[in-house]
Amino acid sequence: MTATDTGADTGTSVSPDARRLWRRGRGLLIAAAALLITGLVLALLRSGDNGTLHPDSAAPLGSRAVNQLLTDHGIDITVAHTSEEVLAELDRLDRNDWPAATLLITHPENLAPERRDALRRETLRTGTRTVLAGAGPDTAAAFTPGIEVAPSAPTGELDPGCATDLTERAGSAQLGGHRYLLPPDTDRATAAAACYPFAGLPTLVTHHAGGPSETVLLGAPDLLYNANLDAYGNASLALQLLGAREHLIWYLPTAADAPGSGQDRSLTDLMAPGWRWAALQLAIAAALTAFWRGRRLGPVVTERLPVSVRAAETTEGRARLYHRNGARDRAAEALRSAARTRLAPRVGVAPAAAHSPEDLLHALAAHTHRAAADLHALLFGPAPADDPALVALADDLDALEASLTPDPKDPSQ
Amino acid sequence: MALTGRTALIAALGALIAGLLPGWGGIAAVCLPLLAAIGYDLLRAAPVRTLHLSRPASVSVRLGERAEVDLTVTNLSGRPLTADLRDAWPPSGWQPGTQYAAARHHLSVPAGERRRVTTVLHPTRRGDHAAVRVTIRSHGPLGLAARQGSHRVPGTVRVLPPFSSRKHLPSKLARLRELDGRTSVMLRGEGTEFDSLRDYVPGDDVRSIDWRATARRSAVAVRTWRPERDRHLLLVLDTGRTAAGRVGDVPRLDAAMDASLLLTALAAHAGDRVDLLAFDRRTRAAVRGRTGKDVLPAVVQALAPLEPALIESDMTALATAARAGAPRRSLIVLFTTLETAPVEMGLLPVLPQLTQRHTVLVAAVGDPRVEEMRTARGTATAVYEAAAAAQHDEERRRTRARLTRLGVTVVEAPPADLPPAVADAYLSLKAAGKL
Repeated sequence: MTATDTGADTGTSVSPDARRLWRRGRGLLIAAAALLITGLVLALLRSGDNGTLHPDSAAPLGSRAVNQLLTDHGIDITVAHTSEEVLAELDRLDRNDWPAATLLITHPENLAPERRDALRRETLRTGTRTVLAGAGPDTAAAFTPGIEVAPSAPTGELDPGCATDLTERAGSAQLGGHRYLLPPDTDRATAAAACYPFAGLPTLVTHHAGGPSETVLLGAPDLLYNANLDAYGNASLALQLLGAREHLIWYLPTAADAPGSGQDRSLTDLMAPGWRWAALQLAIAAALTAFWRGRRLGPVVTERLPVSVRAAETTEGRARLYHRNGARDRAAEALRSAARTRLAPRVGVAPAAAHSPEDLLHALAAHTHRAAADLHALLFGPAPADDPALVALADDLDALEASLTPDPKDPSQ
Repeated sequence: MALTGRTALIAALGALIAGLLPGWGGIAAVCLPLLAAIGYDLLRAAPVRTLHLSRPASVSVRLGERAEVDLTVTNLSGRPLTADLRDAWPPSGWQPGTQYAAARHHLSVPAGERRRVTTVLHPTRRGDHAAVRVTIRSHGPLGLAARQGSHRVPGTVRVLPPFSSRKHLPSKLARLRELDGRTSVMLRGEGTEFDSLRDYVPGDDVRSIDWRATARRSAVAVRTWRPERDRHLLLVLDTGRTAAGRVGDVPRLDAAMDASLLLTALAAHAGDRVDLLAFDRRTRAAVRGRTGKDVLPAVVQALAPLEPALIESDMTALATAARAGAPRRSLIVLFTTLETAPVEMGLLPVLPQLTQRHTVLVAAVGDPRVEEMRTARGTATAVYEAAAAAQHDEERRRTRARLTRLGVTVVEAPPADLPPAVADAYLSLKAAGKL
């Protein structure tokens, strides 16, 4: 008898209670928690977009070493991720009368044009020194009008090639990348230094735009990497470029400042705020609907079904084998033999003698008035040459049987 | 737990409020009351776990008929139960397409009371169908959320063989009565027993007139003969690989079962004892020592859960089991196949063991599909099929000849014709006094 009949605590329930759910799910929960914690730790350790030129990244392409060096020299470093932050910081530092800031832009080519223009205006106004690490044609056109960019050079150790305080202290440094073509009418007031040339064209240009503001174009940012800082005069050059003023704004442009983010506004930007929240509420409703529809009333029921084998399969298989191999001889013999077996009792021949030509043909010829030679060819002749001949043979055999009076005793039963 | 469409609808309508009150406040204004209402519903819904469910352990039904399975739901909690209930059974328990609606019930059970729901099954397959589980979704008073849980309530629907050959029974019984001497037509044969004398009726065989008795009295007296009674039949079903082959859409085994049932019913009427043995490598089912009215139900019950096994039958073991099941002279009806290989390798060597003491009848299911192939003409494919069918027939003929030479009666017929053919063979043997 089942436990239900005892009447006391029902033993028929198979739904897990809270304790059983916890016991079954805790392993999974622990695994999920471990995964989450690991992910968070990794994310914290490797923050920033792959850490290139990030002041906190200790990776070979990070810039923690430069950061450390500057901090040791008393430079105050602010990290900014959006142009708004940069502008706000510049505005804050502008309260001092003396231009006190250096702005380092790590990936200037990633900036949208109007952001570049805004930064350019603000740096000119506040007299900020702007260092552009890896300044390409767009950047050069925006920040240093008149300077054009020539085809790139490989990065490597380059000699200063000019005589300034900067280069005298630093000596050779790791530079290269973009090379800059100064306009022919450049005077010393606007282009203070054009150094570290490769094949005659400089890869570091300092551009004075009047006032305390100046712009430094760096062909490649390699000298700021952790891995390269201790080579040649890299450390000295970096320190002089970034540490000349007491504040450094380290600007790492993110996707928000990238080209396109200004013009192509996303769907959510286009909606009025009310609609946005209504859409969120609808999303919640959709989730509830999914849960409502997704919850089944019990599991899918499966069943072991018996195998289905067709009894005639072997015979059908044999027919197909005959056909594929063109076994006309066997097929014809089977048909003829069956016909002979059926014909024999109708013409008064014993079943045992049905397959002997003499007995059967003689009796058949008497009954059908057909020539014995014809009947011999039909019932004992050679195998048909092709498939149409076989079909014709089957029809001829049928015709022969039909021409005889039917036998009341069916031999096949 | 489960939610209802009402919850989703309210959440969707809440989008209006969220649109009018942009910000998290609007979302909270919709979601927090909804969440509270869901919580209240879950709290107030009758518990599912403590429900008491029971049903009868077993229900029997013939294949093709409907089975009603009751399920009693007792609500022992203090809260009324409003619930959707699904009584899940294997798919072949339902007519295709009806299982969704047929398995689901809506019921309400007041606190402390019990209600019965009846699930109607239309099994499409013979055998035992076991209930899978009962899932109950207990709704709260607001109709927003529900508790859901499952119970395992054992129960079986035993689907018996359909016995569609029952329609042949009256005509076969009439023939049996003829044999019995209750009609004017008399049959004479070796081994029949003298029964009694009665007056001559025109139509009687003149050879049965007892002249000595006629001389003693004024009227012409006729001797009546009665077929043997209390003979023993042993039906042996081969449930091995070949029994799984489908003829039409029915396994050979099912056709053999139908014939077994007709034969059992007929023999029970004739006053013979019937035993049954289903065997492949071991005994799958056996009925022994039942008499009179008990035997047919016993055979039906024994056959119901039988399925063909996909293994080669051990004919030697089968013959041993058959001999053990037939201690005295019997008619052994062997339901098997006439395929050349199994017969030559398995059956022929062991048949003499059976034929030396018993009368053996081999019954096999013929395939109408082969008949169809035999008459196929017109295209090369069809003629090759005809040739293969002719080859098949020739092999069959040779196998039958071999069996007949051993003194075995062979019956082969398509599934629908097999039961009457086997019954006729039995009656003929009985009339000939060969039992």
